[in-house]
Formats: sequence, C-alpha cells, structure tokens
Amino acid sequence: MILQMRSVLPRLSLLFLLCMPLLACAEANQTADTHEYQLSNGLKLIVREDHRAPTVAHMVWYRAGSIDETNGRTGVAHVLEHMMFKGTDQVKAGEFSRLVAAVGGRENAFTNRDYTAFFQQVEKSKLNDVMKLEADRMSNLNFDDAEYAKEIQVIMEERRLRTEDNPASLLNESLMATAFMSSPYRHPVIGWMNDLQNMKAVDALNWYQSWYAPNNAVVVISGDVDPEQTLRMVEKYYGPAQARQLPVRKPQIEPPQKGIKQVEVKAPADSLQLAMAWKVPRLEPGKLDDVEPYALELLAGVLDGYDNARLDRILVKQERVVNDINVSYDMISRGPELFTISARVAKGKTIAQSQAAIRRVLNELIAKGILDSELKRIQVHLLSDQIYKRDSIFGQAMEIGNIEMAGFSWRDIDTILEKMQTITPEQVQAVAKKYLVDSSLTIAVLDPQARNTAAVSNMGAAK
Amino acid sequence: MKHASFVKQAFVFGIFLFIASIHSAYAILPIEQLPVVNGAKAFLVQTKALPMVDIEVSIDAGDRYDPKGKSGLASMTAELMSYGVRGELRGLSEAQIADEIADLGANIATSVSGERATLRIRSLSRKDLRDRAVQLAADMLSAPIYDAKILAREKQRSITGLLEAETKPDFVLERQFSKLIYGDYPLANSPSVKSINAIETNDLVRFHKQFYRGERMIVSIVGDVSPAEANEIVQTLLKRIPPSGPAIPALPAFTRSPVESLADREMDIPFDSQQAHIAMGMTAITRNNPDFFPLLVGNYVLGGGGFVSRLMTEVREKRGLAYSVFSYFAPGKDVGIFQAGLQTKSDQAALALDVMSSTMAKFIEDGPTQSELLAAKANLINGYPLRIDNNRKLLDTVSSIVWNGLPLDTMETWTQQVNAVTLEQVNAAFQKYLAMDRMKIVVLGASK
Repeated sequence: MILQMRSVLPRLSLLFLLCMPLLACAEANQTADTHEYQLSNGLKLIVREDHRAPTVAHMVWYRAGSIDETNGRTGVAHVLEHMMFKGTDQVKAGEFSRLVAAVGGRENAFTNRDYTAFFQQVEKSKLNDVMKLEADRMSNLNFDDAEYAKEIQVIMEERRLRTEDNPASLLNESLMATAFMSSPYRHPVIGWMNDLQNMKAVDALNWYQSWYAPNNAVVVISGDVDPEQTLRMVEKYYGPAQARQLPVRKPQIEPPQKGIKQVEVKAPADSLQLAMAWKVPRLEPGKLDDVEPYALELLAGVLDGYDNARLDRILVKQERVVNDINVSYDMISRGPELFTISARVAKGKTIAQSQAAIRRVLNELIAKGILDSELKRIQVHLLSDQIYKRDSIFGQAMEIGNIEMAGFSWRDIDTILEKMQTITPEQVQAVAKKYLVDSSLTIAVLDPQARNTAAVSNMGAAK
Repeated sequence: MKHASFVKQAFVFGIFLFIASIHSAYAILPIEQLPVVNGAKAFLVQTKALPMVDIEVSIDAGDRYDPKGKSGLASMTAELMSYGVRGELRGLSEAQIADEIADLGANIATSVSGERATLRIRSLSRKDLRDRAVQLAADMLSAPIYDAKILAREKQRSITGLLEAETKPDFVLERQFSKLIYGDYPLANSPSVKSINAIETNDLVRFHKQFYRGERMIVSIVGDVSPAEANEIVQTLLKRIPPSGPAIPALPAFTRSPVESLADREMDIPFDSQQAHIAMGMTAITRNNPDFFPLLVGNYVLGGGGFVSRLMTEVREKRGLAYSVFSYFAPGKDVGIFQAGLQTKSDQAALALDVMSSTMAKFIEDGPTQSELLAAKANLINGYPLRIDNNRKLLDTVSSIVWNGLPLDTMETWTQQVNAVTLEQVNAAFQKYLAMDRMKIVVLGASK
C-alpha cells in the first residue's frame, strides 16, 4: 500500500518567470521531472529523473544528526554512521563495501548537525543491487564488539585529523560552544574526544534503534530511472521495514543572547584568525514569505559572493588588513543559525584593526544601503547556478535531501529561488541593521602559537 | 578564490576520503577535433541537454618552469591574469573584471599544476553571454597588465599563506616528499618566502611572453555549442596569442628513484602534531605508457579501491590505525609518480609504517590474487559511466586525453583495455616500476 503524491511540477518556470534582462531566459526547458511517493511504513521517496547519462545516485537520509544527541554521547550519530558498514544479519562486516565495489559503485556516507545520509552512485542497471543492501541495513544492522572497538579508534583518528591538528576547526568548535548555551549545536558533529573515549557499542546501537526507521527517512534517487519502476523497487526492498515510534524531540530553543561573548583559542598556527558570528533567523517551514532569511543570504553574497564583493574589495584588496575573508550563512537548517564573518589577519595587522575594518564596512552598509547593481549581480548568479547545478546528478539528490531534512519540501526549492529574486536593496540593508548588532554577537580569536618543533632533521639524502 | 577557514555545516565525511586513483576516462560521446588556431589544438564534445558550456585552455606553463630561485612564478603569472588587462577593446581593472564575470553569471578561474596552467570558463551557452565571457577570458590570456602594486599585494598574501601552511603537517610532509622524489627535476622546488619575494613584475611579463603562446596551448570544450560555434570560441580566445616564439630550454631529465639504503631515502621530521603523517613513493610512469592499465588495475587492489583495498584492510579495517590510507599513481604527460600515505596517532607511526611497508612489499612481490584481479576489473568497468556522467567530468576527461596525447577514442576503448589486463601483466608492471629499496619515505610527527 502506498500513498502516492505524484508531481511533475515543472522546475522550468523559474527562468521564464524571472527573466533578468541579462539572462533573458536561457531556454529553461530541461524540466527535471521530480516525483514524490510515500510508503505505508512512512518512508518518503523522491525521484528526480535525469536521463543525460546512464547513471543513478541512490541516497537515504535519516533525520538524525548531532542536534538529536544528548550530553555525554556527543558524536554518536557519526559513530553509528561508521558502524552501518559493519554488517547485518545477512551481510558480514566489510561485505557491504565489497558488494558495492563489485558493481562499480561509488559510496560513502556523511553526518552533520541535522541528519545522517548514505549513498551509492552506480550505472543504472545496478540500482537494484545497492538498494537491496541499503534497505537491509535500515532494519538489520548487526555488528560485534570487536568491530566496534576497532572502528572507534578510526573515528578518534578522524577527529585528530580534522580537528585536533586543525586550528581553524578548533576555533570553529569553540565559537559554536560559546555562541550557543543550550542548543545542541554547541557540540561538534564528530563529538568531544572524551565522549568518544567513553562511548560504548551499546550507545551506537541505541541510537540505531531510536532513529533508523522508515518513518524517519527519505530516499532520494536521481538519474536515469523510470519513476514507477523505481517505486516498485523501493516498495520491494524498503517496504518490509517496520515503522517505529520515534523518541520525543525537545525543542531546546536557544535563549536570547544578552550581550557580546568572546572566546580565545591558542593553537599552532601562524596567522591570527578572527570570527564574528551573529544570531540570526533561519527560514522556517511553512513561512516561506518571511523575507529576512532571503535578505540575509543576499547580504552574505553582497559582502563576499564574488571576487569584488565588499569585504574582499575593501579589506583584502584595498586596505590589506586581512589576508582572506569569508562569510557564511545558511538559512536551511533544523537548528539556530549564525551569520558568520571569518578572516585571517594580514601580517603586521591586529585583531582590533581587522575587527574595526569589518565593522566599518558593515556600518557603512547599514547607513547607506547597497547598490542595485550589487544585489542584481548576486541574483543573476543564483539564476545561472540553477542551470549549472543540474550538471551534477548527485548534486541534485543532495539538494533535495538537504532541504527535506530541514522540514521543507523539495517543491519549496523553486519558491525560495523566486523569493530571492524579489528581495530589494532596502530589505538587505534592513536585516543588516536589525541583526548585526553586538548583543547577539560572539567573537572567536585564534591566537597562533609557534609549533614546538625542532629544525628538520635530515636523516637522508634530501636535496 | 576564497579560502574558507570555517566550514559552517561541519560535515563529517564518513568512512573515507575520496582519493583519486589513476585518473582516466571513458565515454560514448565522440571527441571532435577542431581546426588549429594560432598553433593551438582544440577539441569539442558537444552535449545538448543543458544550455551551458565549459571551456578549458591548458597551457604548457606549469610550476616546473619556475626559474631557479623564483619558485611560485608560474602560479603567480596565471593567477594575476584576472587582476587587470589591456583588453582588445578597453582596459579593465581587477574590480571591473570581477564585476563583469559576476554580471554574466559566469565563472572564470585559473589554476596551475606541476605540468600545466589552466584557465577555465563556465558560462551559459546563450551567444551574447558566452561571447562576453570568452572575450574577457581572451583578454586575460593574451593581455594581462601585471600591475606592480597588485603584485606586491599578492606576494604578501602568498607569503602569509605560505607561513600558515608551514604550520600544517600535510603541507610540510608534501613539500619534503616532493623534494625527495623529484630529485633534480624542477618540481622538487616548492615556493619559499625568499623565492616569492624574488618575483618582480618583469618576471611575470617575461614568463607570460615566453610560455603563453599558441603552440603550447590546447583548448577543450564541452557543452551546448556546435563545432562551428566552438571554432569561433577558439578563434576569439587565441586571436591575440602569438603562435610561437624562441625555443625554450629543455628541462632536466626526470630520472628513476635509485636503489638506496633506508637511511639514505627515509626522512624523519619532528613535528608536535597529534598525528604522524607518512608519505612513501617513487618515480613511476607517464600516462601514455602502455603499462598504465595494468598499474591502474593493480593499484585498485593495493590502495586505490576505497574500503576494499589491501592497504585499507590491513591498516584501517583490521587494526584501526588510520582514518585515511591510500596509494595512487599520478601519471602526467612527461613525469609521473607513485605515492602512498596515511595519518595515525603519533605513537603508532612506527607500527603503521611497518604495516604499510609490508603490505606494499608483499603486493609488489606476489601481485593480486585472481579473485582480486577480477574484483578490480569489475569495479573499474562497471563504474566507468560514473567517470563521464556530466559536463564537468567530461571536460576533465577530454582535457586529460588531449593533454597527454592519447588517442581520441580513448573513452571508447577504456573498458576494453581494463578488461584485457592479465595477472601476469600486473605482476610484471609492479615489479618493473616499483621497488621497496627505491621508495622515498617521509615520516612527520612520529613520537618515539
């Protein structure tokens, strides 16, 4: 039994609707057919047809990320992701990857704050083989303690590689832990090292039993497939999985920040680094008319979206106060959002000078607004990116899964893009004025330390 | 280009890092050869599904041509092309160039590797937009200004970046490894504060004049343009490029890593990181070597095949020693190396090196089993469509084929060539090109 909500909502409309004079409608007739279905066990399936090449991307997204973790067990979402490759009742440890490899597949998995996802890319006739395997591990994971003991060592190596020996990661970790008091976003996705050291196989298993259920998952398939045949295949393999009552998710709303916060990190590095992060709203499902998140996205673009954007032009090229600068904001997420400006300070300049320069650029924008041409430039790029991103079959599945996990529908993607085109310079100015204020600001500074490292000892014939 | 020091979404990529093994290609779509323009060869793969076009100009002007004492010059020459031009119709400042690219909804980027410099354009294929993007790229390619003030700024940025990189274990490891493996070949030299400081405006102008000429360029185009339109693009790009120039002195020979005692080819770098980083490798083959396919298949078994390789099994799956462990051949047009590597907790470095070395030694000695060979071939053959299933990948593939001077039907014959590989060929090729007593080894950050 399935509840079918088929849609062939054309995605071509956007460029026709919005024809910027410049783009005057880059013959947007390559409608990517998208179809949505729901199985009776709650599993949602989204199929994006793309027949340019005989390949397919198969992804399963579980709405279970580090945001769902509890204290003392940080990192468990990611640990379980690793353990998903360690065998089921039918498939021995390591066999999963061997079988995917045998059909020429590429596979991996990733965990972030909001979700955990698994994927294979294969030639289209192999979809059946990999789907069978992926569906099996949705319900039948079965690993032993010896496998767990080895894998947790691998994960600690991963943390050493990505975080412990990486000052930018350490700074970001401290920034998040400082900016957020109660939101689980304060914890790193990979988990604190001490939590990893004390984690047990049973913690991973409990996580699996809590969250890995068809009613907490979305299967996204993009590529050269027939949607009806794909649906039948999905019913066959994922259909038997039992729906399960999911744990209650507490809202854990971050309390309002009441003043500036600062944190300093000392780590081996050469350049001073500065991050300034403001609490800002995100886009909420069902509230697609809220202009502020779009205006914030465009603000990020105006500040840093191309080589001559404001912060790059003024701070990097003209004043040379920072070596490079980056702005990040992502309106699509399950948890609270930050608008972050981060920079590496130029040689001979200070954190104070960099911060003052950033504030000067922001204040000028707040006082005088932005040019029409600046905003158009970012909006044009969003339109051309609409075409470019269709070049990647995998990228299309990624975009759909990502927005679904945050509680939106893939259908909202077009609406969001249309909304972005309606934003005015005044609206961009307004969000800058409203949200880039000190009371919700967190500042993180990397104070570089010399590495305690002797001169290179030449044991050999190095020339 | 941006250097994001923060990854906001904090993706923790599961399971393993994608490591490029030998890169090659396959496709059904034909590569069409276009007329030569000003000495530059040009090629097209026409794909009509999306209204976009990707264009690449490869220039035989890579880092290996850096003059002694001026390492970084080739990269700087390419990078500064977008920072001001004396255009055919008008001069454009760096700000104007950046604005124009953004206004067109296009991307234009330069990059430099050991062998070549590349300029890439991605544009919507609609003629008026495409024409402007191509004209802009043509101006960058043929008439960069190389303003002294901008050079001073970029040198400073580059030096700051370099000093930062020197605190990072992977950078220090790679730099030392290059020094060992390339020996007398110029790629042994990496940029230093001193070498970047030594670069002057005249050097850029001279380097550009010397190397950026038609006979050293190849244009690859993939996308929604006809052969005639593609030819127009090439004409525009090359219009102001001189076809040839004075002879360029030959580079020193790239000679095979010699047999040496362990003490003479291993290097230990003290480094107080939590992990030790290990690199091991030696000189190997160029892409046009007939043994490319036996080595591709064999390396899949040794360290190229993701989770299922021997190195992954021995180092990670059986012992939990590392997150990432890999081996690959990097065959170029004129030089090529083999490299393997891993990172592990500092106090496990000796053990991990031991496991890696013995796994490699055994493989070179005995080769893969018959079933491993079959599994490798199955993966490579079944997976070939994934290597060419979008315009970007096709461009990478075409560009590699034409740069390396491979037959234009390489994509069509690729799986047959994989399929034809025998156990004996793999064994013979590994024994011919690799030898444990020639492997350079760099260990950084081991604690005893």
